[in-house]
Order: sequence, then C-alpha cells, then structure tokens
Amino acid sequence: MSDAHRTGETFTVRTLELDLPALVGALSRRLHESGLPVTPERAAHFAQALTLVKPITRRRLYWTARAVFVSDSAQVPAFDAVFFSVFGRRSERDEFEPEDVRTVASPPDERPCSEHRTSPRAGEQELGAGLSSSQGDQDDERREVEIPVAMASDEERLRRKSFDALEADELAQLYRLMSRIELATPVRRTRRRKRGRRGEHVDLRATLRTSLRTAGDPIRLARRRRRIVPRRLVLLCDISGSMEPYARAYLQFLTCAAGSAQSAEVFVFATRLTRLTRALHSRHPERAIQRAAATAPDWSSGTRIGDALKAFNDRHGRRGMARGAVIVILSDGWERGDPELVGREMDRLARLAHRIVWVNPRVSASGFSVQAGGMVAALPHVDALVSGHSLEALGEVIDAIGAESWESPEAPSPPPSADDDDEEPWPSATPVPGSSVAMPSGYGPSRGNTTPGWGGR
Amino acid sequence: MSPREVTGEAAGEVRHLVPDVETLARRLSDVDYLVDEGLATSMFLSLRLPQPLLLEGEAGVGKTEAAKALAQVLDTPLIRLQCYEGIDAAEALYEWNYPRQLLSIRLADAGPTKLEEADLFGPDYLIRRPLLRALEHPGPRPAVLLIDEIDRADDDFEAFLLELLAEASVTIPELGTVRATHPPAIVLTSNRTRDLHDAVKRRCLYQWIDYPTRQREVEIVRRRVKGASETLAVQVADAVARMRDSDIQKPPGIAEAIDWVAALGLLGVEQLDAEAVELTLGSVLKYSEDQDVVRAASLEQLVGSGE
Repeated sequence: MSDAHRTGETFTVRTLELDLPALVGALSRRLHESGLPVTPERAAHFAQALTLVKPITRRRLYWTARAVFVSDSAQVPAFDAVFFSVFGRRSERDEFEPEDVRTVASPPDERPCSEHRTSPRAGEQELGAGLSSSQGDQDDERREVEIPVAMASDEERLRRKSFDALEADELAQLYRLMSRIELATPVRRTRRRKRGRRGEHVDLRATLRTSLRTAGDPIRLARRRRRIVPRRLVLLCDISGSMEPYARAYLQFLTCAAGSAQSAEVFVFATRLTRLTRALHSRHPERAIQRAAATAPDWSSGTRIGDALKAFNDRHGRRGMARGAVIVILSDGWERGDPELVGREMDRLARLAHRIVWVNPRVSASGFSVQAGGMVAALPHVDALVSGHSLEALGEVIDAIGAESWESPEAPSPPPSADDDDEEPWPSATPVPGSSVAMPSGYGPSRGNTTPGWGGR
Repeated sequence: MSPREVTGEAAGEVRHLVPDVETLARRLSDVDYLVDEGLATSMFLSLRLPQPLLLEGEAGVGKTEAAKALAQVLDTPLIRLQCYEGIDAAEALYEWNYPRQLLSIRLADAGPTKLEEADLFGPDYLIRRPLLRALEHPGPRPAVLLIDEIDRADDDFEAFLLELLAEASVTIPELGTVRATHPPAIVLTSNRTRDLHDAVKRRCLYQWIDYPTRQREVEIVRRRVKGASETLAVQVADAVARMRDSDIQKPPGIAEAIDWVAALGLLGVEQLDAEAVELTLGSVLKYSEDQDVVRAASLEQLVGSGE
C-alpha cells in the first residue's frame, strides 16, 4: 500500500475507494481498542476526509487521521502508537510529547499487585485487594455486601482511629462513612446574573415583558443580581511511601469531593504529577482508586513536592485552574529535592489561589514539630495547617476548606520549633465550624453594611 | 453526510478557493501565516467537511491568528466572540432593543398606528451579537467565526454552543430557529484552563499547535516585522528557543518573538548582544522571576556569543 502511495501521480482515486472501507474500519477499531473515543460518526468523518484529502503520502494520511480522531493532546501518544503500528515505522516527528499524562490510553494495570505485596506495611492486605487484579476487585465487592451496617459504637471507634491503622473491613466501612461527607468551598460572585427581587441591576427584558401587562407602563422594575457559585477545589495528594496509608483514605475522600463539589480537580504526586480528575469520575470509588493507582506509576516511591508543585503551576495553575481556587495539599512535607523550590512554588501558588490548606497527618503525633524541609519552606504560604489523620479530624479539613479567608488574613507564622504536644501545635486559620459558609453576610464590598447582593428569594 | 449541509453556491466558492491542502497552505502563506502540514490539513478539512476546528496550544503560538488568516484567505469578515466568565446568550447571540421597543409603544399610544406584540419582537428590534451575525452572513463565501478562549466561559455556555456547532443554527424563542444560509467557518480556541466537554470536542476537529521549528519561526518573524534583518531574526529565534528550553514559568511564544524583533528594530539594533537583550528583555519575558532566571544563566550565553 505504501508503494502505491509513493508513486504519487499514478496513484488513482479508484484504488483508494476500493481500500477505503477496510482501511477506515480497521484503523477506527484499533484506535477504539487503544482507548480513543472513536465513534461511528468520527469514522464516517474520516472516510469523508479521505475523499477530500488525497493521502498521497503517509504524512498526509497521518495528519488527516489525527485531525479527525484525536480530540485532546493527551490522546496523541496513543494515536501515534496505533497509527505507526499500522502504517509502519515512525518518521521524524516525535516532538509532540503530550504534556499531560495519558489517562486515556493506559492499559489495565497489573503492576501495583506485585509492588504492594513487597511492601512491608501493615495495611498491605487491603491494598492488594483494593487495587490489583480483577479477582481482588470481586473479593472487595463481596466483602462489602457481607458487612452489616456499622453500629454506632463501631462508627465511634472508627472515627478516632488513625487512617494508617485501619484493617481491610474497617476501610470499607470508612468508605461508606466518607460517602456522606460533602465538601463546601467558599463562594464567589460570578459575572453571570439571575433574577432577584432586590438585585442591583435592572433586568430590562423582564421589565418590558411585565410592562405589557400594565399597558406599557413599566410599573414594576424586574431586577437581576450576580449569581454566587462555590469556588473551585483543587486537591493535591502525596502518594509517596510515607503517605501511603493516608493516601488510600484520602483518595476515597477525594472521590467524595470530586463527586459532591461540582468543580473539584484532583491530582496525585510522588515523583511526578498525575491528574486524576477523570479517573475519579466514576460511580465506584474502589474502581476509581484502582484506576488511580494505574495512572499514577509512582505510587509509594519517593516524594518530590517542589517538582510536583512546579508541574502543577506550570501546566494547570497558571493557566487558570488555581486562580481563585481553594487548594488542598495532602503531604507530610518530606521533600527529597530542594526545599527552596517548594518555597518558591508555594509562593507562586499562593499568589494565584484564594486559599491553601495543607493537610499533614503527622501534625497529630505527640511531640510533632515542623522539621521536614519541605514543610518549613511551605508554611509561610499556607492559610491553614490541619492534621486530618482520622475521620474525626477530617472535620477540621472540611472546616478549613470552607473557611472564608478574610476571617484570617494573616497566614500562620511558623514557630521556629513548636514543642507543644497538642493536636494543633500552632493556631491554624480554622474558624469556628460552619461559621461562614452558611451565612449570607459578607458578600458585600465591606462587611457590616447592608449587603445589597443578598436577599430576595 | 455532515449535518451542517452547505448550499451548492457556498460550497462551490470554497472548493474553488481551496481545492486541496497545498493551495490552502500557499494562500495562507500569501497572507503571511505560515502553517505546517498538520495545521494545514486540519484547516482544510474544517473548511471542506465542514466542521468546526478546535485549536489548542501554548499562549502566543498563533491560534487566534489562524482564524484571522483564514478570514483573509476567504476574503470574508472575521466575526470574533471573545469568551469570558458569565458570557450568556444576550451577549453572544442576540438581545432585544428595549429602548426602541418602549419608544415604539409610546408612539403607538400617541398616534393612530396599531402595534401588535409580534411587531415588537421582530427583526427590527433585534440587536445582533456575534454568533447571530455570523449565521446571517449573506455570503457568497462563509464568514469566519472565531470563538476565542472558550475555556474562559463557564461550561453552561458550551452547552449553549452545541446547536451552533453541529447544525449551524440557533433557536430564538420569539423568532424560531435561525438557520445559516452560508454556514460560517468556525474556529474555537482554548488555553486548556479546564477540560472542555466531550460533547463540544465530538463536534470539532482538533489541532494542537506547537512551537514552530527554528526555520519557520525565523520566516514568520521576518514576514511579520517588515525590514527585520535575517541575522537578527535568526538570533532572536535562537534566543527564544533557548528560553523555551530553560526553566521559566512562561515560555515566550511566537507573538513575543515578533514583539521582541519589532522592539529591537525600533532601537536600531542589528546584532543581538547582551546589552540589547538587557534593554528589551521586558518585551519577551513578562515575569520578573523569569528575567532573573535568564540573567542568572548569563545573557551572553542566551545570545550565543560564548560563555
């Protein structure tokens, strides 16, 4: 076939038409198998495109197929793999490195299974079951059916137990408890408006409509006001070795978050950053976490917080994802790389974000002091530092996320060495639970004034 | 086959203008927009299938310029809709001219003319916003509709666009469905601040625009800045390429390279050296941290004049 292509001039349309259905069908099928969202509609478009663009070279064929089939730059590697396996060797073009990790085309993963077996941790058993083979998956589901609804006392005990001390069945129970959690981020006003009796803008359209009822006299002015939406929530979760037991629980937490808050973005990192938002958008959290492990190849290796933050800032934060958002970082702050980089990137992030909440389970340990290099560097830029090591402590996290930042304009200053053995060695910016989120006051330009934006229905 | 059926006349005009990919590339080059094969193929398909084209890429690689060049090639108006948060139908599609409606009501009260409600919601009282203008473009060649930075609009707005993207028509409650006689060539751009809905992507061709090769960048810069010398263009292209490789927050795009050459040209610089870079660094790097990084790595090295 490629011979025919090379002859160029002598290549006739007739030959192509004979080839066409088979070519389109085969390529579409292989692309679909490798995870690209190929629909019959797209395949039809491809066939149509081929009649418009005479694929006299393989290069032309490549670009035609790519324009039709690929709908995201993350899909390019998967597309390339299929295309070059069908049409022969890879040419000079390999500069198109995707800048996101491919979440689309990752093959089903067998790897974590063996890796976690070698892990010496106590939580190892349930990790294998939750994560790896399809058999483990079935096991997990069966177990879930067998467990009776948690008794109150059980629940009470579970609430206090640290995440790294949980047994397999407790973890399943925990998931059920967690699924009741809903995250509420602080709100902001959008430019989009909706009707409101006491809104600040006159709605001419509605006014005119109602005026027709009163013989054309606009007696009642219809008004609109700015709509209020929750801020975006971005979760950055450390899944390195030291954080692994927490990471598992938190990925569950993130699943809830991604489900309840409309605009939650979820990332995990250890040596590199992986975006999980898509993987977590499924109805089965266990499977989502399983998929998370598959798309995050560095599960339980070392941590490079600075690099991960930098990658986030460069690829996503700067473009707008972090702008005005609430950022939650789950990490113990043990940085393998340069702590200075952590400080610099946290500074960048703090300038973009509305609020940064750092969740560090080690904070709950007695005798805890900020010594981890990355944590020291990050602290000046953090709005709230909470432990969140157990289900009960998750309450703090939820409050910290929901807090309005003007209640704590000052970031907590890092004590040189905090030697209290309290749950929270220094005052975090956590306000009284439930204080601000539900309260309508505070949307005006200055607090205390009558807020014109609020009221009506 | 495509749902966006085109009338014979419009299709014929377009087919005549861009019979194949090479012709389109040449015509784009005639209006000083240089394309690689990937982009040329996508643009060609987008015109001929026809299907909207979704362009993504780093800031300043020429996404918006692509639409402008396309409009020049087709010799039709470019109708641009800049998206922003909170944009809605009243700003993108149409709005009723309320003052005029009120005035008409008053006039009808005073005079003998009788005014029906249907009169008030007729074409005379319609303010046409970009999307509607693009649909009502009289031809003979399709207008180019640029929906710029669609990721800035909220996702409800994407859903609002679906009918337009798939059918080249929109529905106005008071008037019914407006169908384009000459469906516009639609170009969407996105900076990937968020993922677009699959529903939008499904209706579009997709193209990721990368930084150009060095030779192409030199060529683009020379086309865009009249009178720029070859040596200066080459030096700037090299320096910008080094910046993109180094560890900076916002790598300069082609737009910055063009600005830079223009700035150097105004200052009468003919040979890029450390001193000239120092004077004009602000036209290519817009973060002080980035400038520091480049300075720390030595400006001499940046312009390639030894250590």
